[in-house]
Amino acid sequence: MRKSLVSKVIAAALTAAMVMSLTACGSTSNASTGSSAAATEAKGSSDAGETKTIGVIQYTTVPSLDNCYEGFVKGLADEGFVEGENLTIDFQNANAEVSTADTEAQTMAQKKYDLIGAIATPAAMSAYGACKADGIPVVFTAVSDPVSAQLVKSLEKSETICAGSSDQLPLEAQLKMIRAFLPEAKKIGILYTTSEPNSITDLETIKGFAPDYGFEIEAVGVTNGSEVAAGAESLIASGVDCINNFTDNNVVNNLPTVLQAAAKANIPVFGSEEGQVYDGCLASISIDYVALGEETGKIAGKILKGELTPEESEIYTSNEGAPFINTEVAEELGLEIPSEYQDGTLVTTGSNK
Amino acid sequence: MDIFLGLLQVVLREGMIYGIMAMGVYITYKVLNFADLSVDGSFPLGACTAAALITAGVDPWIACFVCFAAGCIAGSVTGMLHVKLHISDLMSGILVQTALYSVNMVVTSKKAVLSIFNMPTIFSTGLGGMMYNSALDQWAWVIMALIITIVVKILLDLYLKTRSGLLLRAVGSNERFVVSQGKDPGNMKIIGLMIGNGLVALSGCVLAQQKESADASSGTGMVVMALAAVIIGEAVFGRTKKLRGTTMAVTGMIIYRCCLTAAMQLGLDTIYLKALMSGLFIIALVGSRLKNERSARNVIRAAERK
Repeated sequence: MRKSLVSKVIAAALTAAMVMSLTACGSTSNASTGSSAAATEAKGSSDAGETKTIGVIQYTTVPSLDNCYEGFVKGLADEGFVEGENLTIDFQNANAEVSTADTEAQTMAQKKYDLIGAIATPAAMSAYGACKADGIPVVFTAVSDPVSAQLVKSLEKSETICAGSSDQLPLEAQLKMIRAFLPEAKKIGILYTTSEPNSITDLETIKGFAPDYGFEIEAVGVTNGSEVAAGAESLIASGVDCINNFTDNNVVNNLPTVLQAAAKANIPVFGSEEGQVYDGCLASISIDYVALGEETGKIAGKILKGELTPEESEIYTSNEGAPFINTEVAEELGLEIPSEYQDGTLVTTGSNK
Repeated sequence: MDIFLGLLQVVLREGMIYGIMAMGVYITYKVLNFADLSVDGSFPLGACTAAALITAGVDPWIACFVCFAAGCIAGSVTGMLHVKLHISDLMSGILVQTALYSVNMVVTSKKAVLSIFNMPTIFSTGLGGMMYNSALDQWAWVIMALIITIVVKILLDLYLKTRSGLLLRAVGSNERFVVSQGKDPGNMKIIGLMIGNGLVALSGCVLAQQKESADASSGTGMVVMALAAVIIGEAVFGRTKKLRGTTMAVTGMIIYRCCLTAAMQLGLDTIYLKALMSGLFIIALVGSRLKNERSARNVIRAAERK
């Protein structure tokens, strides 16, 4: 009697697991079944040759990374690999958990995919760790510092199975723009999250450039979302003339808090991405993440075609960004838009929605 | 078939490496009856310490011992907060977990990710390296994980049989008995937490060496994963009294990883993984409770018949 109950419970557990997986399977894999049928049809007519299967791991869901993926698919298409025709993409989101990214990467490596795309540093680390033994090429994007993460030997020549692009911010151009907006400013306040490697690299870089433009950097590190408000207040209390954001996920997710604090003190906030300017930052020199993803997709396409080996590849960096300026915010702060930036993209708060 | 074997490799390897953590949580949660949340911090502590030591050129095996010791220290702090300062078990775990974040950043010298790609690890040098270069290939990693897990399990089982180990088990079930033996249950709790967190850190250390990188935020979700493993292991194997708790914890972890990988293979979108795992967790919890109630009823019935 006891025995049968226990086995019933186990059976129920396993059935539930199977049913849940299968239900979800039904809803998500329709597209891929359809696409594999299309792929068989298109096989003959395509000039890129046989169908390739790649995996893509995106670390978490934030707008810039979503844009990267969109561009990545576009870049592959530019090289003749169209999803659903001669390309199958197994897209997985790690939901910001390293252990999930690891499992996804190892599973993809075991399935011997032709290539693995990785969006953001932790995903790239998991993918490289999993693919190293099998030599499956890893193409990463949105990694600020691939050299210090040991993904590649140098930006000029990878010398590992990794290729891809870096999203190092155009910080020098950003400082130049801040100087143009605020000729009198001395101190730039920066709020960053200590667990985000990109932010730490960016902070080092901006500290290096700041003296050239006559700035002093005042940085406050936070560890989670609840500390952003206090961090912003303490920056303002230390008498900064403006606040500058990086692509720090935690700070960007709590941008309204920073903007409110800055508005009270009547100082501008500079963003690092166009989305932040639409949300109420004064201006930013922005990387176009769709374009960055597209370049990365092209690198992946070339590797799939055999025109490029990851070992020989150069890491793509987008050094020049485009200025985005929020005219509404400029007016509120009583700031003139400097003449050299007037041909930038002029937007107002919320006009992208 | 190759893919199946490959996935099996991943499941076994991860299951056993995380299984070391499950044994640690078995000690705190099952033996001590202490809900220890410092695990989310001591797991990355082990990973980061291992990566930092290996970068500095320390022998990977010595790194394993240092990581275990580091975890022990973290566990002793949780224990002291609870026993000496009378802070509740949940709270002391949370406090230590939060503080460990800062410690991890110091250990990695402010880097959130620390790579040790192509540096000597227990998987690439010595016995591990020898097996990897033989025909075993990636099965070498599974065997290494198996060896480490079995050694840890045997040592832990041996410890639980010693006088100190018996007292530890007594603290969880009957604190008064420990007092009547003239021993301080508080000290036993601290020792248990030290062993538990030491094992968790060791698990993080072994994982970091296998994947050749450490991430300061890799602790997210570890408590839940380990608790699920302990409870699933008990629900599935609880009736066979021959299996030890440590074995059940490791097998529970392998089953857990197996379900996770199977769900991903069946095309489940990763956003549903958490719900799936909570579901499994609930079924295992309810299952073991029903089983206990029934066996209690059987005992009463048997007594009545007499």
